[in-house]
Amino acid sequence: MGEPMERRRFLKVLGVTGGGAALLSGCGIGPEPTEKLIPYLIPPEDQVPGTPTYYATTCRECPAGCGLHAKVREGRVVKLEGNPESPINHGRLCPRGQAGLQGLYNPDRVAGPLERTGDGQWKPIAWDDAIGRVAAKVKGARGKGIVFVTGHESGAFGELVDEWMRQVGGRHVIYEPFAFEALREGNRLAFGTSAVPWYDFANARYLVSFGADFLDTWVSPVGYQNGFARAHGFQAGRDASMAKFVFVGPRLSLTGMNADEWIAAAPGTEGLLALAMASVIVRERLAPVPSDAARLASLLSRHAPAQVASAVGIEPSVIARLAREFAASKGGLAVAGGIAAQYPNGAAIVAAANILNYVAGTVGKTVKFGPNDSLGGAGAGSFQQMADLVSDMEAGKVAVLLVHGANPAHSLPGAFSQAIAKVGFKVGFSPYLDETAAAADLILPDLHPLEQWNDARPRAGLFALLQPVMQPVFPDARHTGDVLLRASGRDQTFQEYLQGRWRELHRRHGGGKSFEQFWSEALQHGGVYGEAPLQPVRLASGVAQLTATPPALAGGPGETVLTVFPSIGLYDGRGANKPWLQELPDPVSKITWHAWVEIHPATAARWGLTNGDFLLLKSPYGTVKAPVWITPGVRPDVLAAATGQGHTAYGRYAKDRSGNAFELLSSAPNGYGGRTFSVAVSVVKTGEHRRLATAEGDPRELGAHNVEVLPLGRARQLKSGERAFEEHEAPAYAERALEDWAAAQHEKASLGNYAGEHPRWGLAIDLATCTGCSACVTACYAENNIATVGEELVVRRRVMSWMRVERYYTGGEHGEPVGAVVTPMLCQQCGNAPCEPVCPVFAAYHTADGLNGQVYNRCVGTRYCSNNCPYKVRYFNWYNFAEQGGEWESWPAPLDMLLNPDVTVREKGVMEKCTFCVQRIRGAQNRARLEDRTVRDGEIVPACAQACPSEAIVFGDLHDRRSRVSELAQDPRGYHVLAGLNTKPAITYLAKVVHDG
Amino acid sequence: MTKRCGRSAAGIAVVVFMASPLAAQNGQPQEARTARVISDTGRLKGPRQPIFFRHDVHAGQSRIPCMYCHASVAVSSEPGIPAVQTCFGCHQLITGSTDEHKAEIKKVQQAWIGKQPPQWIRVHALPGFVRFPHMRHIKALGTQACATCHGQVERMPQVYQVSTLKMGWCVNCHVRSGVSRDCTLCHY
Repeated sequence: MGEPMERRRFLKVLGVTGGGAALLSGCGIGPEPTEKLIPYLIPPEDQVPGTPTYYATTCRECPAGCGLHAKVREGRVVKLEGNPESPINHGRLCPRGQAGLQGLYNPDRVAGPLERTGDGQWKPIAWDDAIGRVAAKVKGARGKGIVFVTGHESGAFGELVDEWMRQVGGRHVIYEPFAFEALREGNRLAFGTSAVPWYDFANARYLVSFGADFLDTWVSPVGYQNGFARAHGFQAGRDASMAKFVFVGPRLSLTGMNADEWIAAAPGTEGLLALAMASVIVRERLAPVPSDAARLASLLSRHAPAQVASAVGIEPSVIARLAREFAASKGGLAVAGGIAAQYPNGAAIVAAANILNYVAGTVGKTVKFGPNDSLGGAGAGSFQQMADLVSDMEAGKVAVLLVHGANPAHSLPGAFSQAIAKVGFKVGFSPYLDETAAAADLILPDLHPLEQWNDARPRAGLFALLQPVMQPVFPDARHTGDVLLRASGRDQTFQEYLQGRWRELHRRHGGGKSFEQFWSEALQHGGVYGEAPLQPVRLASGVAQLTATPPALAGGPGETVLTVFPSIGLYDGRGANKPWLQELPDPVSKITWHAWVEIHPATAARWGLTNGDFLLLKSPYGTVKAPVWITPGVRPDVLAAATGQGHTAYGRYAKDRSGNAFELLSSAPNGYGGRTFSVAVSVVKTGEHRRLATAEGDPRELGAHNVEVLPLGRARQLKSGERAFEEHEAPAYAERALEDWAAAQHEKASLGNYAGEHPRWGLAIDLATCTGCSACVTACYAENNIATVGEELVVRRRVMSWMRVERYYTGGEHGEPVGAVVTPMLCQQCGNAPCEPVCPVFAAYHTADGLNGQVYNRCVGTRYCSNNCPYKVRYFNWYNFAEQGGEWESWPAPLDMLLNPDVTVREKGVMEKCTFCVQRIRGAQNRARLEDRTVRDGEIVPACAQACPSEAIVFGDLHDRRSRVSELAQDPRGYHVLAGLNTKPAITYLAKVVHDG
Repeated sequence: MTKRCGRSAAGIAVVVFMASPLAAQNGQPQEARTARVISDTGRLKGPRQPIFFRHDVHAGQSRIPCMYCHASVAVSSEPGIPAVQTCFGCHQLITGSTDEHKAEIKKVQQAWIGKQPPQWIRVHALPGFVRFPHMRHIKALGTQACATCHGQVERMPQVYQVSTLKMGWCVNCHVRSGVSRDCTLCHY
């Protein structure tokens, strides 16, 4: 690979000259005085300048373990995409996974090892000294308490930590703020195993989620969304399509928004509902109940619908109906988790959902034990272990604390931060100066997962590899695995250690290949994907003693229940230092850059609150101030707040941004060793107010028909060739004008570039599968060098998101059930585009292949096009976001290294917009030309379509009658947004389908 | 951002095309010619490079094909510049015949040994908002077509820019060749 320093400097130059930065130089001749070309010493074999190379690795942004393809140009990663071979995510990727790139190039990374001096300042220290100090301290602390805290580690690194801790007499504590303890304990209560099974959403025909937000953050959101879209999407020819989805929970999360029915059960009563459904199934013999279910008889008879309905807050008849539908589907799937698993009785709720699955006979069909998730089992960490550690620290029983991949000082703000002061020697391995690292004595920055060797075992049977996809951005950071091996006196690199582990795998899965071949194939494919056999489970003996009684959550008068839920973008706070995630509108609230409290309109009216009024929330454990956001998607007696914000360190993007919801939570573990995320709070209006930094236009659609909805019965009747939505494209008085326009178009189509046959690029978006998860939004930011503008400019409505997901609430008035619909909104590439004729300089123009082209170097910034665009999908550069050191700088170094060299970085005063990733279109055309062929259908995939976990977006040539997109454009459910304006959009939306009634 | 660059260089381009239309089509000379001896490098056109690398010696006299060094030009948007290893591959044996040559070749060897690649001054540069896929032009015009834009590099002791690389110059050729001149072909 040559000599690293030279190579990187060379890359910087190539990046600039290759088009990474728009030096809007008007001069076409003569060199820029500063431009240098620095060659490689030895050319890397797998890099061709100007052409991307893809490396397979594994995402570490959450424990799901999705497969990645890292797109590398000139030796640096410019985009993260899903690995199509990975059985976890099927080539799809969520916003958090994609934003891993901004962790890699984060401008606030710690460049090299630091030690704290006597006066509390940080001082650089040499690696040898630092490792020597760690080794000496660990040696000296033998018997006095050595603890290594890591995040969820399912692979070789975790094993190395275990080994080292055994060697030095310490212990390894695994800490994830959302560790699914209730899921494990609930499975143990019901089936006697603490494994977390694999839920086969794709083959489910009826879904009930008891709080499990499997489209947000729960267990494996990308894979589960992909499965959900297959089960819940509408396919005209397939009877089994459109599995009904019922969501039970106090808050309409992203998952809840996609439900056909929302049961806003009282907090903590989800388990009662599950048991009542099970009791109906058993009583009415709706399914062939397994023989050992007899021992449930007394439990279920105590939970008949009539007995629990009032506690849950719904009619008994509804419970009976749900139970009958669930059983009749012959492929039901009940999942419990998320908010429901965060009450003190969370484990019982999970166990109740398990019982429901069991009596309906779905265990083994849709609930698959065997290919178990790595989050389960005895080795997974729990909040109990962390709480024990904190009390040990308090008691002075911990002499050396080492923390890697976890930030307990943020997620356990009170208890951990106080206790850490009593630890003699603290080492942080974080690549960032987060709250925990800030309290350390020594920081030994780890490499980013994209720079390191490692592996992960996300699910039994799957072995995923991580490989360095580029040279370290900060060459003085060092792989913690290498550091540990050195500190433990082993003469080995972590790569060798990892390969040693894989030799074992080779013996079992090698299939006669040499190890070298096995290893290189695993690297190429991102891992080894085997299948674990199913394991049958039986009811545990003590299951009949289950008590699903809801806990008393609200305390005294004047107190309200607050549920704290994981943020979709920021998760437990680890996403907060990534501007893409900060600026990504929350898929539910559409709020960016700050925290909020969700409150029901009736409660807000009672308390005299409007959007943006501040509330001071006081729990017995802490206080947090946050602005309210009024939403019909939460029960009137419940408040909800997301985690993620409120950092006191962790870099420029995260620090000092509103309150930390973790502060309100108890630091004591509950009965099943998990954390309770619901707490009684008293509420005080502070009198302060702010404008929310929201990307929401209006919470309701107001009859615009941006999102069309069809009842299932009607959708099934539609025949091919029919149109469900009649489109009156123009009123009668305009017909003459239209004819003239068509004639003029016809004439123009024969001139110059426009003569001859051309494709017409188009998109089809299936709203029956789109969930609103916003993966497409981040993909668009990453692919198209879209600037993040910051909180202030979002408030001023100057967000640059070319692709936005609009969310509209439905119902809630006149007793209708509350729901929500979503639609991605991006440039429609109109055939008759209002933006084009108003541009005085022809910067907005129609390309021969049907795009609404935007020539950035020609644009003078009149903004006429944006004013004339009915879809509001053009975005103006009010500032120079690329200016180095400028006030609005969007990519402070080294963040600028993630810029896509194939896309111009726009300057101040320029209008920009979606062009269906024209760089990808041209790239595919170039490749096709080299191979003397035409572009194949499906070869061009815009970034949004590529990321979409639901596979809801299809791109292609509308003129090609055999293309998938032209087939979808003829779908009876198809319609165009604002078709009445005669804009002739190239995007066909397929109407959302909802269950009748 | 200046206007100085256009006119004079455009003149040169025309002269070159008129003087040798055949050579303009071919990147390689039909027959090897001996590169002349340069006594005054200060009078050569083009920016002075850290190593006096003579294209007229390599491409002209020795008839090394352009793609020997610029290897990715036919498959990628970037032609690539040779790694020091490529230079040293020959120059560990070829040390030069004259003192001047020896001095320059020694710099290559030092770059290799000292792991300090030379910092070439860029001659042909496009603004950041322009995409130029080299491979498509080579595909359409052949591997001998480098001279169409870069001039007779095999006769240049020191490389200089002969074409304006301005949009009008690009579009003229696209019009003559009857290929698309859609804006989003190059601007995105």
